[in-house]
Amino acid sequence: MSRGAAVLPAALAAIAVSAALTAAVVEMTRVELVLARHRHAATDALLAADACVAELVADVAPAWDLDALLAGPDGQRGTGDDGDIAPRPGCTGRTDVPPGPAAPARVRARLTALGGRGKRTVEAIVRLSPVPGVGALVWLGRSPVDASIAGAIALDGADVADPSADAASLAGPEWPEQLDAWLAAEAGRVVMTSRTRPPLTAAAPPVIALGTRVQAAGPAGAEALVPGTPVALLTRVAGGLVVSASLHGAGLLFVDGTLDIAGALDFTGLVVVSGDLHVRPGASLSIAGALWTGAGTLVVDGGLAVRQDGAALAAADGLLPLPRTAVLLGQRDLG
Amino acid sequence: MTRGSSLVELLVATMLGLAVLSVLTLVVGMGGRLLAACGARGEAEDTAALAVEAFTFDARRAGFDPCAASVEALADARPTRLAFLADLDASGAIDAASEETIAYVCASGQLSRVVGRQSLPLADRTTTCGFRYLDRTGAEIAVPATGLDAGGRRAVRAVAIDLGLRSGLLHAASARSIVVALRGRS
Repeated sequence: MSRGAAVLPAALAAIAVSAALTAAVVEMTRVELVLARHRHAATDALLAADACVAELVADVAPAWDLDALLAGPDGQRGTGDDGDIAPRPGCTGRTDVPPGPAAPARVRARLTALGGRGKRTVEAIVRLSPVPGVGALVWLGRSPVDASIAGAIALDGADVADPSADAASLAGPEWPEQLDAWLAAEAGRVVMTSRTRPPLTAAAPPVIALGTRVQAAGPAGAEALVPGTPVALLTRVAGGLVVSASLHGAGLLFVDGTLDIAGALDFTGLVVVSGDLHVRPGASLSIAGALWTGAGTLVVDGGLAVRQDGAALAAADGLLPLPRTAVLLGQRDLG
Repeated sequence: MTRGSSLVELLVATMLGLAVLSVLTLVVGMGGRLLAACGARGEAEDTAALAVEAFTFDARRAGFDPCAASVEALADARPTRLAFLADLDASGAIDAASEETIAYVCASGQLSRVVGRQSLPLADRTTTCGFRYLDRTGAEIAVPATGLDAGGRRAVRAVAIDLGLRSGLLHAASARSIVVALRGRS
């Protein structure tokens, strides 16, 4: 046998084995890439589904129930489109009432989202927040951008009893960056403590509906505001209220009209003003709880102080159930 | 002109041939080892990814409570063991022997997913395996060896798993760390 005859087969065999190994490495890499692509698609779809759930919950205006989620596009319950929802493009779903007790009110939403090349379905349970309002000290019915602040506003979002219940400075129907910019521009006149949370974008408070409920509940009148120690009451003042003395109040004060503070009002609970709010120079409005306003203007030439008091707000909620935001109670992936 | 080969020529040719074969054998051997290493690494990466996916799936539905029956998200929260609860059949109660109770256990170099009373190994040869618990500010909660008490578990807003796997033939371990927020804990 010649030397060429021995080396050539060996070399060919080695090349064949090397080629097989190379092919195996290439195939392994291909499989891993396919797996990675599928995982990426699944993750994209899951993120899209999460976004659907987040938008669904965030889009529910604060209310006393979750009918907005159940009523469908026409906003009427008991019609054919009940349960139809489409919180964002690429996202479809349906809502219904989950099994179990009627209270607390809950909604079950099944949402399917397309994201990238993937599709995911999730089931979410939505309920009303246990905390009334939107978690802000001042909940405005209009943008604060055109408010007039010549006096001082002091906001303290720290909750003494529960640090997890610290409140946001304000909430209103305005873009977050506009709220931030307004607070920054008013930094000398609007002072916040360190535990006050950043402002929130929120729909306007349902002041008209709340007023109707207050009126139906048989409230007390302006006499509930007293110079001495107040009793927590449901109070409604129609036609506006001018405070020229030093008064105290507690519970829920609903002013149907303009609240004009020319003296001093110290209130523990919730103050709701459907019209303008004007704090005159040298006057003061102090609230332990929250302040909600309607579409009126905000003019603060004196002092306005609002500090978080979860107990006071809960007491007001006990006098008359208050609207709440929708929150996510739980979620699971269905596939 | 000479005919045939001399002894020296044959020896030189044999040496050259052997050298070439040795190099080829070495190359093939290296290729084989590389293939095995890549295979082992790929398997380790897949195992780690699947374990993290399973953990994420279970963590996302922890505390699922359609009946508002006050179902807690965590039944156990220790550095090497945690248990998720979810009312999947909307019965208002948790069945400890079903998928409604899922535990993850790091022990003896292994990560296991325990469904009810059935244990399923998710990953072997772990170099790192543990769980962390984060509060609403994102700060890590110090966990005693006996685990968080009920109040501590309720304060947990997110859970994290740290998983490292030896791939065997490559030096670096396949490592994954992921933080998953618990839904409904805003």
